[in-house]
Amino acid sequence: MKRIGLSAVALTIGLAAAWPAAAQEKPDALGLGIFTFTSGPAAAYGMPGKNAADLMIEQINAKGGIGGVPVSATYVDEAQGAQGVIAEYRRLAADAKNQVMVAALSSANCLALAPIAEQLEIPTVGWNCDTHQLLTDGKSKYVFRPNGNTVPEFIAYAIYLLDRKPDVKTVAIINPDYAFGHDAATIFKAALKALKPDVEVVAELYPKLGSPNYQTEISRLTTAHPDVVFSNLWGGDLENFVRQASPRGLFRSSQVILALGETVLQRVDLPEGVIVGVLGDGWWMSPDAKANPETAAFVAAYKARFGEYPVFPSIKMANTLIYVKAAYQAAMQKNGGKWPTRAEIAEAMKASKVATLTGTTETRADNDGLVDQIVGVTVKSPDHPFPVIGQMVRYKGDKLMPQAGQDPIGWISTLTPEFAKSLPKPGSYK
Amino acid sequence: MLNAIIPLLLDSLASAALIFFAAVGLTLVFSVLRVLNVAHGSLYSIGGYVAASACLFIASRQMNPYLSFVALLFSAVFVAAIFGPVVERSLVRWTYGKSEAVQILITFGLFLMLEDLQRMIFGVQSYYEDTPMRLLGTTNLSGVVYLNYQIVLIVMAVAVVVGLRFLIRHTRTGRLMTAVVADREMAQAVGIDTNRIFMLAFSLGVFLAALGGALATPTSGIAPGLGADTMVLAFAVAAIGGLGQIEGAAVASLIVGLARVLAIYVAPELDAVAPYAAMLVVLLIRPYGLFGSTSVRRV
Repeated sequence: MKRIGLSAVALTIGLAAAWPAAAQEKPDALGLGIFTFTSGPAAAYGMPGKNAADLMIEQINAKGGIGGVPVSATYVDEAQGAQGVIAEYRRLAADAKNQVMVAALSSANCLALAPIAEQLEIPTVGWNCDTHQLLTDGKSKYVFRPNGNTVPEFIAYAIYLLDRKPDVKTVAIINPDYAFGHDAATIFKAALKALKPDVEVVAELYPKLGSPNYQTEISRLTTAHPDVVFSNLWGGDLENFVRQASPRGLFRSSQVILALGETVLQRVDLPEGVIVGVLGDGWWMSPDAKANPETAAFVAAYKARFGEYPVFPSIKMANTLIYVKAAYQAAMQKNGGKWPTRAEIAEAMKASKVATLTGTTETRADNDGLVDQIVGVTVKSPDHPFPVIGQMVRYKGDKLMPQAGQDPIGWISTLTPEFAKSLPKPGSYK
Repeated sequence: MLNAIIPLLLDSLASAALIFFAAVGLTLVFSVLRVLNVAHGSLYSIGGYVAASACLFIASRQMNPYLSFVALLFSAVFVAAIFGPVVERSLVRWTYGKSEAVQILITFGLFLMLEDLQRMIFGVQSYYEDTPMRLLGTTNLSGVVYLNYQIVLIVMAVAVVVGLRFLIRHTRTGRLMTAVVADREMAQAVGIDTNRIFMLAFSLGVFLAALGGALATPTSGIAPGLGADTMVLAFAVAAIGGLGQIEGAAVASLIVGLARVLAIYVAPELDAVAPYAAMLVVLLIRPYGLFGSTSVRRV
């Protein structure tokens, strides 16, 4: 009995000693857990991300995979709610095959998963996490966000608005009622207060995420007579809002800013002159994107397969997978071509600078990404039956980001009109 | 002053009309069958999906767009004809006279099945079809542009209240329903086919639920999850009005609509809780709802 016990201990110790080496053997497939919305109103935003992931993984595998290992994705539907998403994350993380999580779309889910990623030591790349609250403590080792955050995204709209409509006096806001909506409103208002303190916010509405009907909100916005209506509604909510607000004349009575408006350009009839953007640089028709043959090929393949052009969530997802691939290549280069561990992949993501389909993404010391911001207005296009983005500006990512560890809202309050004047002007990016 | 009141009033009525359509079928079914139909919200969203699909079909075939109005009504009739008799005869009838817990368990099971059925048939993407709304145009009232479709919904809600009242008070079927509600055993004893009345009443409830979904479609998107949201709101309205009281549902819809609109205009952060705050206040004062009572059963 004693001999059996000793043998078991020896076997356990032997296996444990052999494990690090075994972990660096190339696996049959590189598993990625990819989290997005594939059902419900948010699927209008999440499915283009999934479509892009399907296509990108197919293209990566057609070129031999990553380090010779084919990529295999397991998709998790975020519509099941935070508890389900957390359970799925833990389940996927328990499988050694899954080395990286591409999670998540929803800011709320990103905030919920971040501590678990640190606890389980799984490199987790927020493909769409926007909330600036995600990496504020600067201590994250395994959570990365190569797609920018709410601070540069919504400062960009304030600066663009003041360049385009310098006499703005009143603003109304309608954002979804959760972290992303409230963060965006806080940042947009803080930026306006810093750059043009006399702007008054005359209405702030936060309808429930997934609300199908906005008629009362539209009446409220109209009766407030704002010069500007700002919104970061998204997915099916945004489509619903535009379809309901457009016939009621909201786009005629106020200058409307739809921060995620690019996602609905091909689906709903947006009038000309609406300020829209891509929460980053992921506009497939930007001058940089058009000049990149790899981007053109991706866009053409996407259109051929899915019947519409990629929207910016598609580009964000594609860029995220390029980021993951670059991290593997860097890690394998560093460790002499061996298959990297999760820790080595995370290490490779730190301080990386990766060329993407639409520009570059640079990872700072706090794991947050520096990505340029493209903003413009809807204009008619002779080449497409839907409006495109014109009068574009491309703000450098680092210009609109506070230093790592700096309080974002405090930093925004230090911005001055002179700072805004130093930035490129609408129409300068062509 | 008038400029401030008209939008409040019109938005409240428009909101109340949509809420009433979501709740009236639930109320009717409870008044006759004494069944709490948790699957009511699913039948509402199925009505929406079928109406949107029918309108999209009309648009894709470039048929006369005014046919979409007919499609809205016939979608509700279609859903009621399919689901009403089948669900009542196969599932709901086993719950008559059983405890509320059994009714809720069975209809909740039905709700889950219907939610999955919708995903299987219609997928997980949102449906939009606004032809009826566009055809009717807009009206400018006190500087606010309203959809004429919103005004039509208010008129239709009033018509449904009047129509149901007429059906119950002035038609043979309605009187038979009243007799069954008053005393089922006595009604059976005098030769009334109570099974048929129950099936008719349930199918009418399904029709009203599906009609609510169909009429909401031109101004709202239809997506998975709508059924659950509708169900919660419908129960709040039914509780405020008094379970089983159709006039109560109408008044409760007005209260909830006004509460929601006031919240959006005055305290937007209370928007989501406004209907339930109204329910709480009413139930604290009148635990059986505005029109409810512990002993009297009235359709």
